[in-house]
Amino acid sequence: MNEQLKTDPTKPAQRMRAGGMTLSLAPWIIAAVAMMALPMIFTNNSALTIMNQMSITIIFALAYNMLLGQGGMLSFGHAVYAGVGGFFCMHLMNMSDFFATIPLPILPLFGGLFGMGLALIVGSFSTRSAGTVFAMISLGVGELIAASSVIVVAFFGGEEGISGDRTYAQPFFGVEFLQQIEVYYLTAAWVIISAALMYLWSRTPVGRMANAVRDNPERAEFLGYSARWVRYYSFVASGFFAGVSGGLFAINYEILTEENLNAASSGIILLVTFLGGVGFFFGPIIGAVVFTLVQTVLSLQTELWAFYAGCLFVATVMFFPGGLAGLIMMHVPAVKLGKWKLLIMPYIKTLIPAAIGILGLCALVEMTFHYRHGATGDNEMTLFWTTFDSHTLMPWLIAAAVTVIGIGIARMTAPSLKEAWDEANTMGGAS
Amino acid sequence: MSVPALELSGLKKSFGKAEIIRGIDLDIGKAERHAIIGPNGAGKSTLFNLITARFAPTAGTVKLHGENLAGLEPFQINRKGLSRSFQITNIFPKMSVFENVRCALLWAQGYKYSFWNLVSRQRALTEGADAILEEINLSARRDIPAGMLSYAEQRALEIGITIAGGANVIMLDEPTAGMSNTETDYIMDLIMRVTEGKTLIMVEHDMGVVFGLADRISVLVYGEIIATDTPERVRADPKVQEAYLGAALEAEH
Repeated sequence: MNEQLKTDPTKPAQRMRAGGMTLSLAPWIIAAVAMMALPMIFTNNSALTIMNQMSITIIFALAYNMLLGQGGMLSFGHAVYAGVGGFFCMHLMNMSDFFATIPLPILPLFGGLFGMGLALIVGSFSTRSAGTVFAMISLGVGELIAASSVIVVAFFGGEEGISGDRTYAQPFFGVEFLQQIEVYYLTAAWVIISAALMYLWSRTPVGRMANAVRDNPERAEFLGYSARWVRYYSFVASGFFAGVSGGLFAINYEILTEENLNAASSGIILLVTFLGGVGFFFGPIIGAVVFTLVQTVLSLQTELWAFYAGCLFVATVMFFPGGLAGLIMMHVPAVKLGKWKLLIMPYIKTLIPAAIGILGLCALVEMTFHYRHGATGDNEMTLFWTTFDSHTLMPWLIAAAVTVIGIGIARMTAPSLKEAWDEANTMGGAS
Repeated sequence: MSVPALELSGLKKSFGKAEIIRGIDLDIGKAERHAIIGPNGAGKSTLFNLITARFAPTAGTVKLHGENLAGLEPFQINRKGLSRSFQITNIFPKMSVFENVRCALLWAQGYKYSFWNLVSRQRALTEGADAILEEINLSARRDIPAGMLSYAEQRALEIGITIAGGANVIMLDEPTAGMSNTETDYIMDLIMRVTEGKTLIMVEHDMGVVFGLADRISVLVYGEIIATDTPERVRADPKVQEAYLGAALEAEH
């Protein structure tokens, strides 16, 4: 210990400060450039729609993670803050005189303010404690507001919801947001700004104390901070950014319904955030991207997409509690030791058979679904670019064999993957 | 005599019918090192929790620098300059060692609930936290999660967190619990250094540990203080020998 004492304690700090400036900006610039470039690669309108949805989900998931990951508050009703922000924006859109005086790009700011307003009220009693009490209040308040959507028809528009037209806004430097691509850039700008602000928030005193309160509320109290007030600030900030995502939803879809408020939407954002990983700031971003892809691209391929999304979620919770971000960050030690190359071959040997086996299993699931639910007489089904009769034995045998062999090989090679993993994460030795 | 740093009068606490603390009067002067010792179940930790408002007293008052603390929340008491550690290690396990200490500095340096300052840009904060890490010999462990520290290191960190805010009344609840002899010596030495010039109130199970450190010792037995005096006189007190040391001796054999 004496030897270690001689190291200058200010040095790591300087290193972090100096490195922090250059390193921490790089991902933001890359993200901004990537978001600008993406529409040039994916030019069709449906891709733009998917990317807009992704962006909105990213903001919402990051806002949600301010509670779950950073503040340790599990909410089952966070959709209402996004939804209410969105509904307010919709009403603003319909106030034609007022709406004509504001440029569309600032509309999400109003969504944020209204989401924050609701969070100010609800948070005042729900953040008294974290844990089960908070979760139950969030669920109750969420259901209450979702239920009032059919009662307070003047505001929520009943079952049809509320619709509007974004193009009535004042043109923004001549842009009227008639086209999807214009909305894309508006949304992208808000994603970058919101994500940056939420990241910076996590670096402020109140953001750091949110972590402290999450880990140990009692200790935080004995450091001069009221755990309740720290939670309240996080909650209100999260409500703001949720409201921003609601405002963007209003701009993008020009309609809001009860679906934007209900428990299913609240559940999905929990799923998205957890899938991406609550332990890292960028986790929810990955979760939003992956989930939106599953929801849009996979849903075009199969009616059972929600089943697969559910399986993915359960597998994540069971095997990778750190989510996809945790899975990525698990490899950092191996990369730092310069031994990540050791992992490539074992990964190929295990993951490719495993993927084939899982696809075989999916084929069995799809065939069962088709066998049970296909129209009578319509025995033909197409799977993996092959058309066959789901009522004959052969396809079943093939799919079962692929499943068994794929998973069998993966199980056989798994021990050597584990060995390689241990080797890659051990210091020293030949590499 | 000036206003005592901490003044307890008629302090009582019952849980249901069980009286745990049965009327404690105690004055602890400024910059005094005071140890509270007593056998298991004497109510030492309960007394601590009463002073720091973790529990509300059934009767009696606690005054810090002459100011009554009744009805205040723990965080408000902390802001008045009283800081405590816990018998069971109580740190932020998932945060880095450095961050643990930095969090302890935030309120003291006036950051409150601000969201317009970036903590990494505040020199005083970084330097202050690093200075404390050096004081508690954890500089080399700066960037690892606090939960990964060894037990003795976690205890040292807890003391670091407790003193970081610059409180002038420091309360330590069995800081050497579960430690080997060398570790105990190390921690006691650390406590001596970091509480220089501050009021220290320390709960200890073992009288030997506090003997060289405390200015005065109070002996707590079954919720009552049976003696408060200098270490030598407490040790010589027949009542103490009977009630506490006798029991301790018995337990040893």
